[in-house]
Amino acid sequence: MLLAVWMVALAAIGAIVAQRLRVSTDLRSFMPAPATPDQRLMMEQVGEGPGSRLLLLAIAGKSDEQLAALSQQLTASLRKDERYSQALNGSFDIASLDEQLLPYRYLLSPTLDTQAMDAPFLRDELEQRLEDLSSPAAGLLKGLLPRDPTLEVLKLAERWTPPKSPEVREGVWFSPQDEALLLVQTRAAGFDPDAQAVAIDGIHKAFDALPGHEGATLKVSGPGYFSVVANAQTRGQAEWIGRISTVGFIVLLLLAYRSIGSLLLSALPIASAALAGIAALIVLFPQVHGITLAFGFTLLGVAQEYPIRVLSHRRAGENALQSVRDLWPLLLTAIASACIAYLAFYASGVNGLKQLAVFTITGLLVAGFSTRYLLPHLLPERVHDVAGMGWLVRARRWADALPRPRWIPVLVAVATVVMLVFARGAFWQNDLSALTPLPRDLLQEDARLREALGAPDVRYLLVMEARDEQGVLALSERLQSTADALVARHAVDAIELPSRYLPSEAVQRTRQQRLPDRATLERALAEAEQGMPFQAGLFAPFVADVQKARALPPLTAERFAMSPLGQRVSAMLMPRGDHWVGLGTLSGVHDVAALQALAHGSSGAVRLLDLKETAESMVVDYRTRILHALLAATLLLVVAITVALRSVRRAWHVLAPMTLATFLVLAVERVAGVEISLFHLVALILAAGLGLHYALFFERDTGDAAEQRRTLHATLVCVLSALLVFGMLAWSSIPVLRAIGLTVSLGVAFHFCLSILMAPHARQD
Amino acid sequence: MKMLDQPLVVSGELSWLGGDRLERRVEHPNREVSTIADGQVSQEREGREPRRFSLKRAPQLQILLDSFVAMLGGDATRLEQAFAIQYSGDDARRWTLTLTPRDPKLVRTVSRIEIDGAGNEPHCMRMQEADGDLAVDLLGGLAAKMPAVPTRDALAALCRGG
Repeated sequence: MLLAVWMVALAAIGAIVAQRLRVSTDLRSFMPAPATPDQRLMMEQVGEGPGSRLLLLAIAGKSDEQLAALSQQLTASLRKDERYSQALNGSFDIASLDEQLLPYRYLLSPTLDTQAMDAPFLRDELEQRLEDLSSPAAGLLKGLLPRDPTLEVLKLAERWTPPKSPEVREGVWFSPQDEALLLVQTRAAGFDPDAQAVAIDGIHKAFDALPGHEGATLKVSGPGYFSVVANAQTRGQAEWIGRISTVGFIVLLLLAYRSIGSLLLSALPIASAALAGIAALIVLFPQVHGITLAFGFTLLGVAQEYPIRVLSHRRAGENALQSVRDLWPLLLTAIASACIAYLAFYASGVNGLKQLAVFTITGLLVAGFSTRYLLPHLLPERVHDVAGMGWLVRARRWADALPRPRWIPVLVAVATVVMLVFARGAFWQNDLSALTPLPRDLLQEDARLREALGAPDVRYLLVMEARDEQGVLALSERLQSTADALVARHAVDAIELPSRYLPSEAVQRTRQQRLPDRATLERALAEAEQGMPFQAGLFAPFVADVQKARALPPLTAERFAMSPLGQRVSAMLMPRGDHWVGLGTLSGVHDVAALQALAHGSSGAVRLLDLKETAESMVVDYRTRILHALLAATLLLVVAITVALRSVRRAWHVLAPMTLATFLVLAVERVAGVEISLFHLVALILAAGLGLHYALFFERDTGDAAEQRRTLHATLVCVLSALLVFGMLAWSSIPVLRAIGLTVSLGVAFHFCLSILMAPHARQD
Repeated sequence: MKMLDQPLVVSGELSWLGGDRLERRVEHPNREVSTIADGQVSQEREGREPRRFSLKRAPQLQILLDSFVAMLGGDATRLEQAFAIQYSGDDARRWTLTLTPRDPKLVRTVSRIEIDGAGNEPHCMRMQEADGDLAVDLLGGLAAKMPAVPTRDALAALCRGG
């Protein structure tokens, strides 16, 4: 009856969860909330900045001509697709300048800054055009001539080509390795692996739909692709490891309790815990992060201890309810202390970790209370008492007979301190990218394509701030000459400022005022044409465009954004609260100090943003907060255990081995050259939670040898199952999983050994 | 040329550098060197920045290159591939070769090329562009006979008669 009710309740919660659960994959919810403006900007840039949304494509495996054709067709089909904001392949298309925007060329091009549109200027230009007509370029320019005899469109095209562009063959970009190169910008954020997977899949589908794609290969690289690969790899390995450990775990429990019924029943508290945890997340958060779920299930592994303890401590003929009642004070202490430890995550202020805390605390409480109040009613009356097993008797005798000199803890403590002091290398791992599980050759491939495409550096950005859009553009214009000087000094290969694409309104107006009125222009043109063979009236479209340009409202980013080129400007110019920010991209940074000096001279309006350094500073802030929270949790834990055991001395016997083992893990990892990351910290806390259980149960003095054996049995099952699950993770090639697996495995082993060796009453026996 | 009231006349040297490479040196009226090599066209003029563009963007040049290289290299197969060829000769000494591009896209920019010659030597190359413009190259000794103000008819007569 109870079983049926329980199952129905679980199924109901399960159905609600399945219906309402919305999983997000944006990795940024596992990053700390940004505190400084730089950190805020970095978080945006990391996920949504133009650099992070850029995919680098290379098509290889056919003749140049065929590859160029594929490149053109792919670009054309991606430009029609909503999912991509930009697709470039190096072919300059005059059509990319919107027909409506064409008259703006006189406001955008710097020609008129140094030149008046008068007869001598026009004469010089027309003479050049005449030479052009008799030259190989004739066919190219003939169409432009009547409308644009000074070739402003070409001047703009030259100005706007990436400063370091790849070789153009057959009209499109090619790498030195004979691949056709393309740049595609996705609308999806770079660190949203699911959305990026859809975008990348779209590219492959478009490519496969092209006629003649057989035999050619398409390679994709870039931050978005990496997040997809990392996500798939982590998920793949976690699933594979999870499957093996689940099987191992089931085998272990069957060997330990020799009862399928007990095994199935003991799964109920855990299943309830997981479902209740997810339900709590759905209530409290709009979206649940995928990593929260993955880590949460791992952390919930602690809860498996509760039914294991109950099963191991069953006595022959004793009612299950009675065994649970005896164990409950200790179990409750264990549950409360684990919850206190996870509260530290809640205090970290990171959305993902908060979710993790809510999930595990809810899960642990539900698992604990269902083990106490529901499970015993279902367990069979007749059980196999583990205390009678021969091997267990011998094992307990051996463990009790171990020498327990008082100097062991002292020796371990001294060794720990020595190892921590003499460990080499940095203590903390601040570089988030060290945790990216990307194969080296992928990164090298990316570096090669990035170099070939002259794509901007993803690490540095030049940030300009002003009160409004025009202020930023004016600032960017003032910066241009200094930037040119830096490029000339080879401090950096190229600097791209927003004003390169869009001059400020003031500059546009100045240029506008320099444009001659119709009569003046016609007179100048007539004078220039004197004695030249151009037909009368040939340049009427030119005169018309100049007149149109005189009356245009200056081009703004908003208006410009309608054309493909304007998209680029929007990515470099954005409102932020009460002011505007402009971003300058840098390629090939050689001299960071020179760039910083550029920032210093601007009294705060311009600065160099080092995304890597900002991310690291954020990790440091993040860790400091977590460490503070942990310190508070530790104090709370000491108080809780002391109150629960009603004795400072007993609390000391529980907390001393746990603390010592935790620092021992840290010391061993440091000596082995491991730099400590946030994930190591999380794993240390998990291990400490397990260690606390061992110490609590070993410390318990029942005065009953059989009960002591049962304690050993329960602890052994717990230790072995933890070693099984986390030992598997330690073999993973993914740094995050490895960090957790290694730390928890070491922790479980140390906690077990130290809590047995430091257990007080064994010595008295 | 439609845009102009009078024809443009330049003189200089056109040389084949082997392979798909042509060089065009203009001496008069302004010095200029253009080269076609590896699918790229580069143009250098005294006192100006050099200009470069892809051969793909100038189909006329591709045709010019194809016909010149095939003709000078004596590569009949290549000529066959790129053009439909029509040969007409009044007598053994004088002939006209009419080349029509096979690529339908190219025909939209260049309708045909006519090469006039005598014996083993081409004298004259006329490129008829689809927009009505006509480019005439007088080759070899004939170049010296270029009139100061040429007309289409005069040039045609020169090509056939020279």
